[in-house]
Amino acid sequence: MTHRKQHVWTRWRRVVQFTVALFYLALPVLHLFDVRTVAGTLASLRIGSFDLTEPASALAGALASRTFTTTLLIGIAPVVLLALVAGPVFCSWVCPWGLISEGLDKVRNRIAPRKWTGETWRVSRWPRYVLLAVLVALSAAAALPLVALLSAPRAITSLPLEIIYLRMISPLTAIVLLGVLIIELVAPRRIWCRVLCPVGTTAALLRTPKTLSVRWEESRCACPRTAPCHTHCPWGVDPRKKMTYDACTNCMGCVDVCPHDALALR
Amino acid sequence: MKTSRFAWLRSITAGRLLRPPGAIDERRFAALCTRCNRCIEVCPYKSIKPAGITSIAGAGTPVILAREIPCYLCMKCPPACPTGALEPITDKRRVKMGIAVVDEKTCYAFQGILCRTCVDECPLTEEAIHQDEMLMPRVTDRCVGCGICERVCPAKQPAITIRPREVVT
Repeated sequence: MTHRKQHVWTRWRRVVQFTVALFYLALPVLHLFDVRTVAGTLASLRIGSFDLTEPASALAGALASRTFTTTLLIGIAPVVLLALVAGPVFCSWVCPWGLISEGLDKVRNRIAPRKWTGETWRVSRWPRYVLLAVLVALSAAAALPLVALLSAPRAITSLPLEIIYLRMISPLTAIVLLGVLIIELVAPRRIWCRVLCPVGTTAALLRTPKTLSVRWEESRCACPRTAPCHTHCPWGVDPRKKMTYDACTNCMGCVDVCPHDALALR
Repeated sequence: MKTSRFAWLRSITAGRLLRPPGAIDERRFAALCTRCNRCIEVCPYKSIKPAGITSIAGAGTPVILAREIPCYLCMKCPPACPTGALEPITDKRRVKMGIAVVDEKTCYAFQGILCRTCVDECPLTEEAIHQDEMLMPRVTDRCVGCGICERVCPAKQPAITIRPREVVT
């Protein structure tokens, strides 16, 4: 079969992912040259006087401290809006840890091919929401921003800043990244991104029926039980099952590999 | 005076950290701060660093080690905070990071050696610190706790140190 579309989406996705990663590598270098109009990590980024704040960490922290500021709410608004409209694209298109996770998964799978543990949506749907609820409840009870502390996107974008700009590695960043790395290497495939990451769960939680998502047109599909869309999905999702969309991050990989144009973004 | 059995633990986890200007009370601060590092990045002096894990709940939160690099009260970090863990104050006189404490046993001035380094270097000199009639440094309650005096003190161990404003009890 020929891939007429030649993985157009995936190519663009890689461009975006690497651009974000390079941006956070370049940021501390800019600081060294005293350019500070752009500052932050994936926990919160400031561009001039414009704020982009990751909602999961900020809201869990606000709840834990019972302090809500308008700056916080204005900062999370564009990120929440993006998730409401475009789905959890933060995970598949933006997060540098997502990029690393995909890479590690590919390497691991090449060394020792592994199956996705069970049908992904079954194992991933409720545990991640329960886990997020527990984390948020614990954050509020212990007055600790557990979501922010466990955020892999924060840690991975903080690392270049610490190494290049501060010439140190904060123990928090080191512990989080090491922990997540070990989980990526020994635990079921991509379980951090699919189940454990509170940032990803929050993004998935913001999916509404009107949110852009990959729709399957059964009449066009001519694939047998195992289809390329399912085997190629970096998240272990079967796009032909309606229930799967919880774990889907709109990475569009399935649309790229579908031989019959049975999958489309709508 | 009744001291909690866990006072030692609190002394590690809270209250011993010197926060950037504008920080809200310690307990809420560690909870609200998302460790986004924006205050660290906008500080032109690299005064602000992420705290280590010995501060358990405060791991990754911004701290200032005044003897290494104090706060020069440029007031760039408070408006950089996205969550309000640092209140966006811009008037350095409203800062309340801590208060300077002079150790009379080691302070040169108290040993009869003429020294007024801390008084001279204080950004709020004569307001926050002044020399009394005996030429000894005296800190007033207008001291904001920036730590410049702790940095410049010529004694081997600084004879003037900042006690962070908040010691959680």
